[in-house]
Amino acid sequence: MEQKIYAKIVKYVLVVFIVSVFFFPIYWTITMAFKPHMEWTSSAGKIHWIPKKPTLTNFTSLFQRKVSVVSPLSSTAVRPIVNSIIVSVASTVFTMILGTLAAYGISRYKVAPNLPFMLLGLRMIPLAAIIVPIMVLWAYVGFVDTAHGLIILYALSTLPFAVLLMKTFFDEIPTELDEAAIVDGYSNWGAFTKFILPLAKGGISSTALFCFILNWSDFILALTLTDRKWSTIPVYLDKLQSGYVGKLYGPKAALALIAVIPPVIFGLLIQKYLVRGLTFGAVKK
Amino acid sequence: MSTKIEQKNTVDKSAIKEGIKFGTLMVLPAQIMFFTVLAFPLLSGIYISLTEWSPLTSGGLKWYSAYKFWSGLSNYWNLITDKEFLMALFRTFIIVATVVPIEFFLGLFIAFLFLDKFPLKKVFHTVLIIPMMIVPAVGGFVFYMLFQSSGAVNGILSIFTSQPVEIVWLQHDVLAIIAIICADVWQWTPLMFLILLSGLMSLPEDQLNAAVILGFSNWQRFRMIVLPLMKPVFVIALIIRGIEAVKIFDPIWLMTSGGPGTATETISVYLYRHGFVMLEWSWIAAAGYIIFILINIIAAFALKLIKEKHREAA
Repeated sequence: MEQKIYAKIVKYVLVVFIVSVFFFPIYWTITMAFKPHMEWTSSAGKIHWIPKKPTLTNFTSLFQRKVSVVSPLSSTAVRPIVNSIIVSVASTVFTMILGTLAAYGISRYKVAPNLPFMLLGLRMIPLAAIIVPIMVLWAYVGFVDTAHGLIILYALSTLPFAVLLMKTFFDEIPTELDEAAIVDGYSNWGAFTKFILPLAKGGISSTALFCFILNWSDFILALTLTDRKWSTIPVYLDKLQSGYVGKLYGPKAALALIAVIPPVIFGLLIQKYLVRGLTFGAVKK
Repeated sequence: MSTKIEQKNTVDKSAIKEGIKFGTLMVLPAQIMFFTVLAFPLLSGIYISLTEWSPLTSGGLKWYSAYKFWSGLSNYWNLITDKEFLMALFRTFIIVATVVPIEFFLGLFIAFLFLDKFPLKKVFHTVLIIPMMIVPAVGGFVFYMLFQSSGAVNGILSIFTSQPVEIVWLQHDVLAIIAIICADVWQWTPLMFLILLSGLMSLPEDQLNAAVILGFSNWQRFRMIVLPLMKPVFVIALIIRGIEAVKIFDPIWLMTSGGPGTATETISVYLYRHGFVMLEWSWIAAAGYIIFILINIIAAFALKLIKEKHREAA
Protein backbone atom coordinates (compact mmCIF):
# COMPACT_ATOMS: atom_id res chain seq x y z
CA MET A 1 0.00 0.00 0.00
CA GLU A 2 2.74 2.41 0.99
CA GLN A 3 4.53 1.60 -2.22
CA LYS A 4 1.41 2.37 -4.18
CA ILE A 5 1.10 5.82 -2.63
CA TYR A 6 4.77 6.38 -3.27
CA ALA A 7 4.32 5.47 -6.95
CA LYS A 8 1.35 7.79 -7.15
CA ILE A 9 3.33 10.71 -5.79
CA VAL A 10 6.16 10.07 -8.22
CA LYS A 11 3.69 9.98 -11.08
CA TYR A 12 2.06 13.21 -9.93
CA VAL A 13 5.39 14.98 -9.69
CA LEU A 14 6.12 13.80 -13.23
CA VAL A 15 2.82 15.14 -14.50
CA VAL A 16 3.36 18.50 -12.83
CA PHE A 17 6.90 18.69 -14.24
CA ILE A 18 5.79 17.87 -17.80
CA VAL A 19 2.89 20.28 -17.70
CA SER A 20 5.14 23.07 -16.41
CA VAL A 21 7.68 22.45 -19.17
CA PHE A 22 4.94 22.68 -21.78
CA PHE A 23 3.44 25.72 -20.11
CA PHE A 24 6.70 27.64 -19.76
CA PRO A 25 6.86 29.04 -23.34
CA ILE A 26 3.29 30.27 -22.95
CA TYR A 27 4.11 31.83 -19.57
CA TRP A 28 7.17 33.49 -21.05
CA THR A 29 5.19 35.02 -23.92
CA ILE A 30 2.41 36.28 -21.66
CA THR A 31 4.83 37.94 -19.26
CA MET A 32 6.95 39.30 -22.11
CA ALA A 33 3.91 41.07 -23.48
CA PHE A 34 3.66 43.06 -20.24
CA LYS A 35 7.36 43.71 -19.70
CA PRO A 36 8.82 47.18 -20.29
CA HIS A 37 11.67 47.55 -22.73
CA MET A 38 14.35 47.25 -20.03
CA GLU A 39 13.23 43.76 -19.04
CA TRP A 40 12.93 42.14 -22.50
CA THR A 41 16.38 40.59 -22.45
CA SER A 42 18.71 39.60 -19.69
CA SER A 43 21.22 42.19 -18.65
CA ALA A 44 24.49 41.00 -17.13
CA GLY A 45 23.21 37.41 -17.00
CA LYS A 46 20.11 38.37 -15.00
CA ILE A 47 16.87 37.11 -16.48
CA HIS A 48 13.61 38.78 -15.58
CA TRP A 49 11.38 35.86 -14.67
CA ILE A 50 8.45 38.07 -13.74
CA PRO A 51 7.72 41.59 -15.00
CA LYS A 52 8.83 43.99 -12.26
CA LYS A 53 7.12 47.02 -13.73
CA PRO A 54 4.24 45.61 -15.79
CA THR A 55 3.12 47.90 -18.59
CA LEU A 56 0.63 48.04 -21.43
CA THR A 57 2.88 49.99 -23.79
CA ASN A 58 3.63 46.86 -25.81
CA PHE A 59 -0.03 46.59 -26.71
CA THR A 60 -0.64 50.28 -27.28
CA SER A 61 2.52 50.61 -29.39
CA LEU A 62 1.02 48.13 -31.86
CA PHE A 63 -1.78 50.54 -32.59
CA GLN A 64 0.13 53.81 -32.73
CA ARG A 65 1.94 55.20 -35.69
CA LYS A 66 3.94 57.44 -33.37
CA VAL A 67 7.68 56.91 -33.68
CA SER A 68 9.19 56.12 -30.32
CA VAL A 69 11.75 53.71 -28.93
CA VAL A 70 9.27 50.89 -28.79
CA SER A 71 7.16 51.74 -31.76
CA PRO A 72 8.95 52.96 -34.83
CA LEU A 73 6.51 51.12 -37.06
CA SER A 74 5.61 52.18 -40.53
CA SER A 75 2.17 50.64 -40.19
CA THR A 76 0.08 49.65 -37.20
CA ALA A 77 -1.29 46.20 -36.42
CA VAL A 78 -4.87 47.29 -37.09
CA ARG A 79 -4.93 46.41 -40.78
CA PRO A 80 -3.34 42.94 -40.38
CA ILE A 81 -5.76 42.06 -37.57
CA VAL A 82 -8.76 43.18 -39.61
CA ASN A 83 -7.37 41.34 -42.64
CA SER A 84 -6.93 38.13 -40.68
CA ILE A 85 -10.51 38.29 -39.45
CA ILE A 86 -12.01 39.06 -42.88
CA VAL A 87 -10.01 36.46 -44.76
CA SER A 88 -10.40 33.67 -42.19
CA VAL A 89 -14.14 34.18 -41.75
CA ALA A 90 -14.90 34.49 -45.46
CA SER A 91 -12.85 31.47 -46.44
CA THR A 92 -14.40 29.42 -43.63
CA VAL A 93 -17.91 30.25 -44.86
CA PHE A 94 -16.88 29.46 -48.42
CA THR A 95 -15.26 26.13 -47.61
CA MET A 96 -18.13 25.13 -45.32
CA ILE A 97 -20.71 25.65 -48.06
CA LEU A 98 -18.71 23.61 -50.58
CA GLY A 99 -17.70 21.04 -47.99
CA THR A 100 -21.12 20.48 -46.43
CA LEU A 101 -22.83 19.99 -49.79
CA ALA A 102 -20.14 17.65 -51.04
CA ALA A 103 -20.00 15.69 -47.79
CA TYR A 104 -23.75 15.08 -47.88
CA GLY A 105 -23.58 13.91 -51.48
CA ILE A 106 -20.74 11.56 -50.66
CA SER A 107 -22.26 10.31 -47.41
CA ARG A 108 -25.75 9.61 -48.73
CA TYR A 109 -25.48 8.92 -52.44
CA LYS A 110 -21.99 7.43 -52.56
CA VAL A 111 -21.05 9.67 -55.48
CA ALA A 112 -17.47 10.76 -56.20
CA PRO A 113 -16.01 8.10 -53.90
CA ASN A 114 -12.48 9.17 -54.78
CA LEU A 115 -12.85 12.86 -54.03
CA PRO A 116 -12.12 12.54 -50.28
CA PHE A 117 -8.88 10.75 -50.98
CA MET A 118 -7.85 13.22 -53.66
CA LEU A 119 -8.47 15.97 -51.13
CA LEU A 120 -6.38 14.09 -48.58
CA GLY A 121 -3.64 13.83 -51.19
CA LEU A 122 -3.83 17.60 -51.66
CA ARG A 123 -3.30 18.07 -47.95
CA MET A 124 -0.14 15.97 -48.06
CA ILE A 125 1.72 18.09 -50.61
CA PRO A 126 3.78 20.89 -49.10
CA LEU A 127 2.15 24.15 -50.16
CA ALA A 128 5.59 25.48 -51.04
CA ALA A 129 5.82 22.85 -53.80
CA ILE A 130 2.87 24.22 -55.77
CA ILE A 131 2.99 27.85 -54.74
CA VAL A 132 5.08 29.05 -57.71
CA PRO A 133 2.62 27.89 -60.40
CA ILE A 134 -0.22 29.25 -58.26
CA MET A 135 1.65 32.54 -58.04
CA VAL A 136 2.00 32.59 -61.85
CA LEU A 137 -1.75 32.13 -62.23
CA TRP A 138 -2.59 34.63 -59.48
CA ALA A 139 -0.27 37.25 -60.98
CA TYR A 140 -1.82 36.66 -64.40
CA VAL A 141 -5.42 37.13 -63.22
CA GLY A 142 -4.50 39.94 -60.81
CA PHE A 143 -5.29 38.08 -57.56
CA VAL A 144 -2.00 38.83 -55.81
CA ASP A 145 -2.41 40.89 -52.63
CA THR A 146 -6.20 40.78 -52.76
CA ALA A 147 -8.72 39.40 -50.27
CA HIS A 148 -10.40 37.06 -52.74
CA GLY A 149 -7.05 35.69 -53.90
CA LEU A 150 -6.30 34.58 -50.37
CA ILE A 151 -9.86 33.47 -49.57
CA ILE A 152 -10.02 31.09 -52.54
CA LEU A 153 -6.75 29.41 -51.60
CA TYR A 154 -7.65 29.16 -47.91
CA ALA A 155 -10.98 27.63 -48.84
CA LEU A 156 -9.22 25.12 -51.06
CA SER A 157 -6.65 24.22 -48.44
CA THR A 158 -9.26 23.56 -45.73
CA LEU A 159 -11.72 21.85 -48.10
CA PRO A 160 -10.28 18.39 -47.27
CA PHE A 161 -11.11 18.92 -43.60
CA ALA A 162 -14.56 20.35 -44.31
CA VAL A 163 -15.54 17.44 -46.58
CA LEU A 164 -14.10 14.59 -44.53
CA LEU A 165 -15.25 15.90 -41.17
CA MET A 166 -18.76 16.75 -42.33
CA LYS A 167 -18.97 13.31 -43.91
CA THR A 168 -18.30 11.68 -40.53
CA PHE A 169 -21.04 13.83 -38.98
CA PHE A 170 -23.56 13.00 -41.74
CA ASP A 171 -22.65 9.33 -41.49
CA GLU A 172 -23.76 9.43 -37.86
CA ILE A 173 -27.29 10.57 -38.77
CA PRO A 174 -29.41 7.51 -39.65
CA THR A 175 -30.44 7.38 -43.33
CA GLU A 176 -33.96 6.38 -42.29
CA LEU A 177 -34.56 10.06 -41.50
CA ASP A 178 -34.07 11.36 -45.02
CA GLU A 179 -35.81 8.30 -46.45
CA ALA A 180 -38.86 9.02 -44.28
CA ALA A 181 -38.84 12.65 -45.36
CA ILE A 182 -38.72 11.65 -49.03
CA VAL A 183 -41.60 9.20 -48.54
CA ASP A 184 -43.48 12.11 -46.97
CA GLY A 185 -43.09 13.94 -50.26
CA TYR A 186 -40.06 16.10 -49.60
CA SER A 187 -37.53 16.51 -52.39
CA ASN A 188 -33.93 15.42 -51.85
CA TRP A 189 -33.00 19.04 -51.26
CA GLY A 190 -35.96 19.51 -48.92
CA ALA A 191 -35.00 16.48 -46.85
CA PHE A 192 -31.45 17.80 -46.62
CA THR A 193 -32.29 21.36 -45.60
CA LYS A 194 -35.36 20.69 -43.42
CA PHE A 195 -34.26 17.57 -41.54
CA ILE A 196 -30.59 16.77 -41.87
CA LEU A 197 -28.98 20.21 -41.65
CA PRO A 198 -30.67 21.09 -38.33
CA LEU A 199 -29.50 17.76 -36.90
CA ALA A 200 -25.95 18.37 -38.11
CA LYS A 201 -25.75 21.80 -36.51
CA GLY A 202 -23.25 20.71 -33.88
CA GLY A 203 -21.06 19.09 -36.51
CA ILE A 204 -21.26 22.13 -38.77
CA SER A 205 -20.24 24.56 -36.06
CA SER A 206 -17.33 22.43 -34.84
CA THR A 207 -16.11 21.86 -38.39
CA ALA A 208 -16.39 25.59 -39.13
CA LEU A 209 -14.44 26.52 -36.01
CA PHE A 210 -11.85 23.93 -36.95
CA CYS A 211 -11.47 25.35 -40.47
CA PHE A 212 -11.31 28.85 -39.02
CA ILE A 213 -8.41 27.86 -36.77
CA LEU A 214 -6.52 26.43 -39.75
CA ASN A 215 -7.14 29.48 -41.93
CA TRP A 216 -6.22 31.83 -39.12
CA SER A 217 -2.98 29.90 -38.56
CA ASP A 218 -1.75 30.02 -42.15
CA PHE A 219 1.56 31.69 -42.74
CA ILE A 220 3.14 30.61 -46.01
CA LEU A 221 0.20 31.46 -48.32
CA ALA A 222 -0.20 34.92 -46.87
CA LEU A 223 3.56 35.43 -46.87
CA THR A 224 3.86 34.69 -50.59
CA LEU A 225 0.57 36.01 -51.94
CA THR A 226 0.14 39.26 -50.05
CA ASP A 227 2.22 42.36 -49.86
CA ARG A 228 1.22 45.62 -48.19
CA LYS A 229 -2.54 45.62 -48.23
CA TRP A 230 -3.66 42.15 -47.28
CA SER A 231 -0.91 40.73 -45.12
CA THR A 232 -2.28 38.86 -42.11
CA ILE A 233 -1.18 38.77 -38.47
CA PRO A 234 1.53 36.08 -38.84
CA VAL A 235 3.11 37.91 -41.77
CA TYR A 236 3.04 41.19 -39.87
CA LEU A 237 4.54 39.42 -36.85
CA ASP A 238 7.37 38.15 -39.05
CA LYS A 239 8.08 41.56 -40.56
CA LEU A 240 7.72 43.58 -37.36
CA GLN A 241 11.16 45.02 -36.80
CA SER A 242 12.68 48.23 -35.72
CA GLY A 243 15.82 50.11 -36.57
CA TYR A 244 16.10 51.42 -33.02
CA VAL A 245 16.06 48.37 -30.80
CA GLY A 246 16.26 45.64 -33.40
CA LYS A 247 14.16 42.93 -31.86
CA LEU A 248 10.77 44.11 -30.67
CA TYR A 249 10.18 41.25 -28.24
CA GLY A 250 7.58 43.11 -26.21
CA PRO A 251 5.24 44.30 -28.98
CA LYS A 252 5.76 41.03 -30.84
CA ALA A 253 4.76 39.04 -27.77
CA ALA A 254 1.73 41.31 -27.34
CA LEU A 255 0.75 40.67 -30.97
CA ALA A 256 1.39 36.95 -30.48
CA LEU A 257 -1.05 36.95 -27.56
CA ILE A 258 -3.69 38.70 -29.64
CA ALA A 259 -3.08 36.21 -32.46
CA VAL A 260 -3.51 33.08 -30.34
CA ILE A 261 -6.60 34.11 -28.40
CA PRO A 262 -9.21 33.18 -31.07
CA PRO A 263 -7.74 29.79 -32.02
CA VAL A 264 -7.16 28.77 -28.40
CA ILE A 265 -10.70 29.69 -27.35
CA PHE A 266 -12.22 27.98 -30.38
CA GLY A 267 -9.92 25.01 -30.00
CA LEU A 268 -10.97 24.49 -26.40
CA LEU A 269 -14.62 24.86 -27.42
CA ILE A 270 -14.31 22.02 -29.92
CA GLN A 271 -11.88 19.98 -27.82
CA LYS A 272 -14.08 16.94 -28.26
CA TYR A 273 -13.66 17.03 -32.03
CA LEU A 274 -10.02 18.08 -32.28
CA VAL A 275 -8.76 14.54 -32.65
CA ARG A 276 -11.41 13.68 -35.19
CA GLY A 277 -10.57 16.83 -37.14
CA LEU A 278 -6.84 16.45 -37.19
CA THR A 279 -7.01 12.79 -38.15
CA PHE A 280 -9.52 13.56 -40.96
CA GLY A 281 -12.16 11.55 -39.15
CA ALA A 282 -10.07 8.41 -38.91
CA VAL A 283 -10.04 8.49 -35.09
CA LYS A 284 -13.56 9.32 -34.00
CA LYS A 285 -13.49 9.60 -30.23
CA MET B 1 -49.89 -8.45 -58.77
CA SER B 2 -46.70 -8.81 -60.75
CA THR B 3 -47.30 -5.55 -62.60
CA LYS B 4 -47.64 -3.79 -59.28
CA ILE B 5 -44.25 -5.02 -58.12
CA GLU B 6 -42.71 -3.99 -61.42
CA GLN B 7 -44.22 -0.56 -61.03
CA LYS B 8 -42.78 -0.23 -57.56
CA ASN B 9 -39.38 -1.29 -58.85
CA THR B 10 -39.38 1.35 -61.56
CA VAL B 11 -40.42 3.98 -59.03
CA ASP B 12 -37.53 2.93 -56.75
CA LYS B 13 -35.14 2.91 -59.67
CA SER B 14 -36.09 6.40 -60.76
CA ALA B 15 -35.84 7.59 -57.15
CA ILE B 16 -32.35 6.12 -56.92
CA LYS B 17 -31.42 7.70 -60.24
CA GLU B 18 -32.81 10.99 -59.01
CA GLY B 19 -30.80 10.60 -55.82
CA ILE B 20 -27.57 9.98 -57.67
CA LYS B 21 -28.23 12.99 -59.87
CA PHE B 22 -28.84 15.07 -56.76
CA GLY B 23 -25.73 13.74 -55.06
CA THR B 24 -23.61 14.50 -58.11
CA LEU B 25 -24.91 18.06 -58.14
CA MET B 26 -24.06 18.43 -54.45
CA VAL B 27 -20.47 17.35 -55.01
CA LEU B 28 -20.06 19.44 -58.14
CA PRO B 29 -19.13 22.83 -56.59
CA ALA B 30 -16.35 21.28 -54.52
CA GLN B 31 -15.07 19.39 -57.55
CA ILE B 32 -15.10 22.49 -59.74
CA MET B 33 -13.19 24.38 -57.08
CA PHE B 34 -10.68 21.57 -56.70
CA PHE B 35 -9.99 21.07 -60.38
CA THR B 36 -10.09 24.67 -61.64
CA VAL B 37 -7.79 26.06 -59.00
CA LEU B 38 -5.39 23.13 -59.14
CA ALA B 39 -5.46 22.07 -62.80
CA PHE B 40 -3.95 25.25 -64.20
CA PRO B 41 -1.07 25.54 -61.74
CA LEU B 42 -0.23 21.86 -62.13
CA LEU B 43 -0.15 22.06 -65.93
CA SER B 44 1.51 25.45 -66.25
CA GLY B 45 3.97 24.28 -63.61
CA ILE B 46 5.17 21.47 -65.89
CA TYR B 47 5.49 23.92 -68.78
CA ILE B 48 7.47 26.49 -66.81
CA SER B 49 9.67 23.84 -65.25
CA LEU B 50 10.92 22.91 -68.73
CA THR B 51 12.27 26.40 -69.37
CA GLU B 52 14.68 28.92 -67.88
CA TRP B 53 11.94 31.52 -67.50
CA SER B 54 11.80 33.66 -64.37
CA PRO B 55 10.19 37.04 -63.71
CA LEU B 56 13.61 38.58 -63.17
CA THR B 57 15.57 37.34 -66.18
CA SER B 58 12.87 37.14 -68.82
CA GLY B 59 12.85 40.84 -69.62
CA GLY B 60 9.16 41.28 -68.88
CA LEU B 61 8.00 38.34 -70.95
CA LYS B 62 4.82 36.76 -69.60
CA TRP B 63 4.76 33.15 -68.45
CA TYR B 64 3.15 31.86 -71.67
CA SER B 65 6.16 33.07 -73.65
CA ALA B 66 8.40 30.91 -71.49
CA TYR B 67 9.05 28.58 -74.45
CA LYS B 68 11.54 31.17 -75.68
CA PHE B 69 13.75 30.03 -72.82
CA TRP B 70 13.19 26.32 -73.48
CA SER B 71 15.68 24.13 -71.68
CA GLY B 72 14.07 20.71 -71.71
CA LEU B 73 14.76 18.58 -68.67
CA SER B 74 17.87 20.43 -67.61
CA ASN B 75 16.22 21.90 -64.49
CA TYR B 76 15.28 18.43 -63.32
CA TRP B 77 18.68 17.02 -64.12
CA ASN B 78 20.48 19.88 -62.36
CA LEU B 79 18.19 19.59 -59.35
CA ILE B 80 18.79 15.92 -58.67
CA THR B 81 22.51 16.60 -58.72
CA ASP B 82 22.24 19.88 -56.79
CA LYS B 83 23.90 19.58 -53.42
CA GLU B 84 21.81 22.27 -51.73
CA PHE B 85 18.53 20.69 -52.85
CA LEU B 86 19.60 17.21 -51.82
CA MET B 87 20.79 18.54 -48.47
CA ALA B 88 17.39 20.19 -47.93
CA LEU B 89 15.72 16.84 -48.62
CA PHE B 90 18.13 15.05 -46.32
CA ARG B 91 17.67 17.62 -43.54
CA THR B 92 13.90 17.36 -43.79
CA PHE B 93 14.24 13.60 -43.48
CA ILE B 94 16.45 13.96 -40.38
CA ILE B 95 14.03 16.38 -38.72
CA VAL B 96 10.99 14.19 -39.46
CA ALA B 97 12.80 11.07 -38.32
CA THR B 98 13.73 12.76 -35.03
CA VAL B 99 10.62 14.72 -34.29
CA VAL B 100 7.94 12.11 -35.03
CA PRO B 101 9.31 9.33 -32.76
CA ILE B 102 10.02 11.79 -29.92
CA GLU B 103 6.50 13.20 -30.13
CA PHE B 104 5.01 9.73 -30.39
CA PHE B 105 6.73 8.20 -27.38
CA LEU B 106 6.47 11.33 -25.26
CA GLY B 107 2.79 11.64 -26.17
CA LEU B 108 2.20 7.99 -25.37
CA PHE B 109 3.99 8.33 -22.05
CA ILE B 110 1.94 11.36 -21.02
CA ALA B 111 -1.25 9.64 -22.21
CA PHE B 112 -0.50 6.71 -19.87
CA LEU B 113 0.06 9.14 -16.99
CA PHE B 114 -3.32 10.71 -17.74
CA LEU B 115 -5.17 7.40 -17.47
CA ASP B 116 -5.06 7.73 -13.68
CA LYS B 117 -7.15 10.10 -11.65
CA PHE B 118 -5.35 12.92 -9.88
CA PRO B 119 -6.08 16.41 -8.57
CA LEU B 120 -6.32 19.22 -11.16
CA LYS B 121 -6.33 16.69 -14.00
CA LYS B 122 -8.73 18.75 -16.11
CA VAL B 123 -6.66 21.92 -15.74
CA PHE B 124 -3.45 20.08 -16.63
CA HIS B 125 -5.13 18.45 -19.61
CA THR B 126 -6.25 21.85 -20.91
CA VAL B 127 -2.84 23.45 -20.41
CA LEU B 128 -1.17 20.53 -22.14
CA ILE B 129 -3.24 20.74 -25.32
CA ILE B 130 -2.94 24.52 -25.77
CA PRO B 131 0.37 24.45 -27.71
CA MET B 132 -1.24 22.59 -30.63
CA MET B 133 -3.80 25.37 -31.06
CA ILE B 134 -1.21 28.12 -31.19
CA VAL B 135 -0.54 29.65 -34.60
CA PRO B 136 2.65 27.86 -35.78
CA ALA B 137 4.30 31.12 -36.80
CA VAL B 138 3.68 32.44 -33.29
CA GLY B 139 5.17 29.24 -31.89
CA GLY B 140 8.23 29.93 -34.02
CA PHE B 141 8.50 33.44 -32.63
CA VAL B 142 8.13 32.18 -29.05
CA PHE B 143 11.01 29.75 -29.49
CA TYR B 144 13.04 32.36 -31.33
CA MET B 145 12.69 34.46 -28.20
CA LEU B 146 13.47 31.59 -25.82
CA PHE B 147 16.61 30.54 -27.68
CA GLN B 148 18.28 33.95 -27.88
CA SER B 149 21.66 34.14 -26.20
CA SER B 150 20.05 36.49 -23.69
CA GLY B 151 16.89 34.37 -23.60
CA ALA B 152 15.13 32.15 -21.11
CA VAL B 153 16.67 28.81 -22.12
CA ASN B 154 20.14 30.07 -21.34
CA GLY B 155 18.70 31.61 -18.18
CA ILE B 156 17.44 28.22 -17.03
CA LEU B 157 20.72 26.55 -17.98
CA SER B 158 22.66 29.08 -15.94
CA ILE B 159 20.54 28.27 -12.91
CA PHE B 160 21.44 24.59 -13.21
CA THR B 161 25.10 25.19 -13.95
CA SER B 162 25.25 28.18 -11.58
CA GLN B 163 27.31 30.19 -14.03
CA PRO B 164 26.20 32.54 -16.79
CA VAL B 165 25.43 30.57 -19.96
CA GLU B 166 25.46 32.45 -23.24
CA ILE B 167 25.04 29.87 -25.96
CA VAL B 168 24.25 31.37 -29.35
CA TRP B 169 21.72 28.69 -30.29
CA LEU B 170 20.31 29.97 -33.54
CA GLN B 171 23.62 30.85 -35.13
CA HIS B 172 25.06 27.38 -34.74
CA ASP B 173 24.43 24.69 -37.39
CA VAL B 174 23.49 21.84 -35.07
CA LEU B 175 22.14 23.81 -32.09
CA ALA B 176 19.76 25.68 -34.40
CA ILE B 177 18.28 22.37 -35.59
CA ILE B 178 17.95 21.25 -31.97
CA ALA B 179 16.09 24.48 -31.17
CA ILE B 180 13.75 23.88 -34.12
CA ILE B 181 13.16 20.30 -32.99
CA CYS B 182 12.30 21.60 -29.51
CA ALA B 183 9.75 24.02 -31.01
CA ASP B 184 8.13 21.25 -33.06
CA VAL B 185 8.07 18.79 -30.16
CA TRP B 186 6.51 21.44 -27.93
CA GLN B 187 3.81 22.23 -30.44
CA TRP B 188 2.90 18.75 -31.66
CA THR B 189 3.42 16.35 -28.75
CA PRO B 190 0.03 17.56 -27.44
CA LEU B 191 -1.62 16.30 -30.63
CA MET B 192 0.00 12.88 -30.25
CA PHE B 193 -1.03 12.87 -26.60
CA LEU B 194 -4.63 13.70 -27.48
CA ILE B 195 -4.92 11.08 -30.24
CA LEU B 196 -3.26 8.36 -28.17
CA LEU B 197 -5.21 9.19 -25.02
CA SER B 198 -8.51 8.96 -26.85
CA GLY B 199 -7.34 5.63 -28.25
CA LEU B 200 -6.37 4.34 -24.81
CA MET B 201 -9.65 5.49 -23.26
CA SER B 202 -11.66 3.54 -25.79
CA LEU B 203 -9.91 0.26 -24.96
CA PRO B 204 -12.33 -2.34 -23.59
CA GLU B 205 -11.97 -2.12 -19.84
CA ASP B 206 -13.17 -5.64 -19.11
CA GLN B 207 -10.33 -7.12 -21.13
CA LEU B 208 -7.80 -5.04 -19.23
CA ASN B 209 -9.39 -6.00 -15.89
CA ALA B 210 -9.43 -9.64 -16.89
CA ALA B 211 -5.73 -9.41 -17.61
CA VAL B 212 -5.12 -8.05 -14.11
CA ILE B 213 -7.13 -10.90 -12.58
CA LEU B 214 -5.18 -13.38 -14.66
CA GLY B 215 -2.02 -11.97 -13.13
CA PHE B 216 -0.54 -10.30 -16.20
CA SER B 217 2.28 -7.89 -15.53
CA ASN B 218 1.99 -4.32 -16.79
CA TRP B 219 4.35 -5.07 -19.65
CA GLN B 220 2.40 -8.20 -20.64
CA ARG B 221 -0.81 -6.23 -20.53
CA PHE B 222 0.71 -3.61 -22.80
CA ARG B 223 2.19 -6.07 -25.27
CA MET B 224 -0.66 -8.54 -25.49
CA ILE B 225 -3.75 -6.34 -25.15
CA VAL B 226 -2.98 -2.64 -25.53
CA LEU B 227 -0.57 -2.92 -28.45
CA PRO B 228 -2.69 -5.01 -30.84
CA LEU B 229 -5.84 -3.00 -30.08
CA MET B 230 -4.07 0.33 -30.40
CA LYS B 231 -2.21 -0.49 -33.60
CA PRO B 232 -4.63 1.32 -35.95
CA VAL B 233 -4.51 4.45 -33.77
CA PHE B 234 -0.72 4.29 -33.66
CA VAL B 235 -0.57 4.02 -37.46
CA ILE B 236 -2.91 6.97 -37.97
CA ALA B 237 -1.08 9.15 -35.43
CA LEU B 238 2.31 8.43 -37.01
CA ILE B 239 1.09 8.99 -40.58
CA ILE B 240 -0.69 12.25 -39.78
CA ARG B 241 2.25 13.64 -37.87
CA GLY B 242 4.74 12.39 -40.45
CA ILE B 243 2.92 14.09 -43.30
CA GLU B 244 2.65 17.38 -41.46
CA ALA B 245 6.25 17.28 -40.26
CA VAL B 246 7.55 17.01 -43.84
CA LYS B 247 5.94 20.37 -44.61
CA ILE B 248 7.59 22.20 -41.69
CA PHE B 249 8.12 25.85 -42.58
CA ASP B 250 6.63 28.45 -40.22
CA PRO B 251 8.75 27.89 -37.08
CA ILE B 252 11.95 27.57 -39.12
CA TRP B 253 11.26 30.75 -41.05
CA LEU B 254 10.56 32.68 -37.86
CA MET B 255 13.51 31.22 -35.93
CA THR B 256 16.37 31.03 -38.43
CA SER B 257 14.99 31.66 -41.95
CA GLY B 258 16.94 28.55 -42.90
CA GLY B 259 20.22 29.87 -41.56
CA PRO B 260 22.94 30.07 -40.49
CA GLY B 261 23.83 29.74 -44.18
CA THR B 262 21.54 26.93 -45.24
CA ALA B 263 22.07 24.82 -42.10
CA THR B 264 18.36 24.62 -41.18
CA GLU B 265 16.91 24.73 -44.68
CA THR B 266 14.20 22.09 -45.17
CA ILE B 267 12.28 21.38 -48.37
CA SER B 268 9.67 24.08 -47.79
CA VAL B 269 12.24 26.68 -46.77
CA TYR B 270 14.35 25.83 -49.83
CA LEU B 271 11.34 26.19 -52.13
CA TYR B 272 10.27 29.45 -50.56
CA ARG B 273 13.72 31.02 -50.54
CA HIS B 274 14.56 30.12 -54.13
CA GLY B 275 11.05 30.89 -55.34
CA PHE B 276 10.33 34.14 -53.58
CA VAL B 277 13.59 35.59 -52.35
CA MET B 278 15.68 34.65 -55.38
CA LEU B 279 12.74 34.43 -57.82
CA GLU B 280 14.06 31.33 -59.63
CA TRP B 281 10.59 30.31 -60.70
CA SER B 282 11.28 27.68 -63.33
CA TRP B 283 13.85 26.07 -61.06
CA ILE B 284 11.35 25.94 -58.20
CA ALA B 285 8.54 24.73 -60.47
CA ALA B 286 10.77 21.76 -61.30
CA ALA B 287 11.78 21.26 -57.67
CA GLY B 288 8.10 21.42 -56.71
CA TYR B 289 7.38 18.63 -59.19
CA ILE B 290 10.14 16.40 -57.90
CA ILE B 291 8.76 16.80 -54.36
CA PHE B 292 5.21 16.38 -55.65
CA ILE B 293 6.19 13.00 -57.12
CA LEU B 294 8.13 11.95 -54.02
CA ILE B 295 5.24 12.87 -51.72
CA ASN B 296 2.76 11.12 -54.02
CA ILE B 297 4.68 7.89 -53.71
CA ILE B 298 4.65 8.18 -49.93
CA ALA B 299 1.06 9.42 -49.91
CA ALA B 300 -0.20 6.53 -52.03
CA PHE B 301 1.14 4.22 -49.38
CA ALA B 302 -0.27 6.28 -46.50
CA LEU B 303 -3.67 6.70 -48.17
CA LYS B 304 -3.97 2.96 -48.57
CA LEU B 305 -3.59 2.58 -44.82
CA ILE B 306 -6.08 5.37 -44.04
CA LYS B 307 -8.57 3.97 -46.56
CA GLU B 308 -8.43 0.62 -44.79
CA LYS B 309 -9.04 2.34 -41.47
CA HIS B 310 -12.02 4.20 -42.94
CA ARG B 311 -13.45 0.94 -44.22
CA GLU B 312 -13.01 -0.68 -40.82
CA ALA B 313 -14.87 2.24 -39.26
CA ALA B 314 -17.70 2.16 -41.81
